[in-house]
Amino acid sequence: MSLREARGPFEGTMSIVFACTSCGHSTAMLTNKAETQMVRSLGVAIGGRTKEAAPMEMLRSRLQGRRETPIAESARMGSKCPFTGVVAQAFAGGGQGMQWSEGATARLNRIPAFVRPSVQRSVEDYARRNGLTEINTSVMDAVKGNLGM
Amino acid sequence: MKTYHDIASDGGSDVIGQVTAQRARLEDRLSLVDHVVAVMSGKGGVGKSTITFVLAEALAERAWCVGIVDADINGPSIAQMTGVRTHVPVLTPGGVMPPENREGIRVMSMDLFLAQEAAPVLWEASTQDEAYTWRPMVEMGALRELIADTEWGPLDVLLVDLPPGADRLPNLASLLPRLSGVVVVTGPTSVSQVAVERSIGMASRVARVPVIGLVENMSAYICPACGAAELLDSNVGDAEALATRHGVPFLGHVPFDRNLALAADTGEPFLERYAGSMAGRAIIDISRKVARFLTR
Ligand SMILES: Nc1ncnc2c1ncn2[C@@H]1O[C@H](COP(=O)(O)OP(=O)(O)OP(=O)(O)O)[C@@H](O)[C@H]1O
Ligand SMILES: [Mg+2]
Repeated sequence: MSLREARGPFEGTMSIVFACTSCGHSTAMLTNKAETQMVRSLGVAIGGRTKEAAPMEMLRSRLQGRRETPIAESARMGSKCPFTGVVAQAFAGGGQGMQWSEGATARLNRIPAFVRPSVQRSVEDYARRNGLTEINTSVMDAVKGNLGM
Repeated sequence: MKTYHDIASDGGSDVIGQVTAQRARLEDRLSLVDHVVAVMSGKGGVGKSTITFVLAEALAERAWCVGIVDADINGPSIAQMTGVRTHVPVLTPGGVMPPENREGIRVMSMDLFLAQEAAPVLWEASTQDEAYTWRPMVEMGALRELIADTEWGPLDVLLVDLPPGADRLPNLASLLPRLSGVVVVTGPTSVSQVAVERSIGMASRVARVPVIGLVENMSAYICPACGAAELLDSNVGDAEALATRHGVPFLGHVPFDRNLALAADTGEPFLERYAGSMAGRAIIDISRKVARFLTR
C-alpha cells in the first residue's frame, strides 16, 4: 500500500487515498470534521500509534505562536503509519512528520545551523503547498532558486 | 471501496487504548510524587499564584523537594514569579526536564512554550470558532502533558496553581484522582468570600478533595517605611469565621507587602530576604500547617 494522494484539510475534513503497489487498487479514508477535532483534542493519533507519544506532543505541535525551540535537543517526531503522518503534518503546519530523504537531510545539514530551521520550514511549506509528503533532493532543487542555497 | 459505515471499529485508531496509555503515563509520573496540592480561589486576582510561589519557597526551605505546575493555561504567571520564564526545558529520555529556580523549585508552565508574553493562547484548528468549541478538552490535554511529560523526579509535593474559578477543581480532580488536598485563597472583601464558600462546597461536595485550609491574602497593608500594619477592609476576620463555619482550618492572613509584589514581578525569591517580615512569617506559618496536614 502506498500513499497516492492527500486532500485537505478542507473545512476540517481530509481524504487520503492509498493504492496497492502491485494492482493499483485504491482505498480512500475520509475523516469527519467533528470526529477529527474531537480525537485531536484528546491528544490521540488518528490511525493509531506505532510509537509512544512524544513528550509534550500536543503543546509542541498545536499551540500557535509558540517559541521556536520550546524544548532543547528535541528529537524529530515521526510515525510509521502513513495516515497518522499525513494528518498530523497537514494540521501541524510546522512540518512535524514530513519525511526527509537521506540525501535531502544531508544537504540540509550542510546549511549553517542558525539558518537551518528557517530553510527547513520554507522547504516543508513548499512541499506542503505542492501536495508532497516526502522531501528529496529534487524538491530541494526546486526551491533552491528562491532560497539561494 | 469501503465506506465510512463499513468500518466496524474506530478505524484502528484505538482511541480508548491511547487514552488509557495517557492515564498510565500520568500515574507513572506521579508515582514518585508524594503529595499533589491544588491552590484555588473562587475569584481571580486574589493571589493564588503568589501564594503558590511563596508556599513553594517556604516548603523548599524545610528541605522539601517541590514542583509547581501552572494549571492556568491562558494566564500563566508562575514561570515569571519564580524567575524561570526565559529558561528552555531540556528533553531527556525520561521526559522534559523542568527549569529550576534558585531555590531548587521545579517549574512547568505553558509560559515556557509561548513566544510572546502578551499573545493570547490559541490552538491550531481549521477555524478559531471550532477551536473554541474544543478548547476545554485541549486545555485539559495540555495540562496532562505539562504534568505527565515533565521529568519531575521524586518530589515531596507538587503544587498546582489553578486558574480562577471554583469549577476548575473538579476538572483537575478527574485528571488527578490522587489529589491530596486543596488550599483555598481569598481576598478580604465580602465578594471574594462568597466565592470562597462556593469553592469550599465545590471541593468537598463535588470534587471530594480535602480542604487543607483557607488563606486570607492582602488583608492588611504593611507600611514599607515603618512596618506598621493597617487593615485594608472592615471584613478582615470574617475569613476566619467563615472557615470555622464550614469546618475547614484557617491557615492565616498574608498582608499586602510591596516587597512580595516586587519579588513576584521580578522572579526573585521572597523568603530569602524577607522571612522575618510579617508576610514572611505568615507564609512560613501557613507552610508549617500545610506540611503538617500532608504528613499527618
Ligand atoms: N500579599 C501580597 N502582597 C502584595 N502583592 C500581592 C500579594 N498577593 C498578591 N499580590 C499581587 O497581586 C497581583 C495578583 O496576584 P496573583 O497573580 O497571585 O493572583 P491570582 O489569584 O493568581 O490571579 P489570577 O486569578 O489571574 O490567576 C499580583 O500582581 C501580585 O504580585
Ligand atoms: Mg494566577
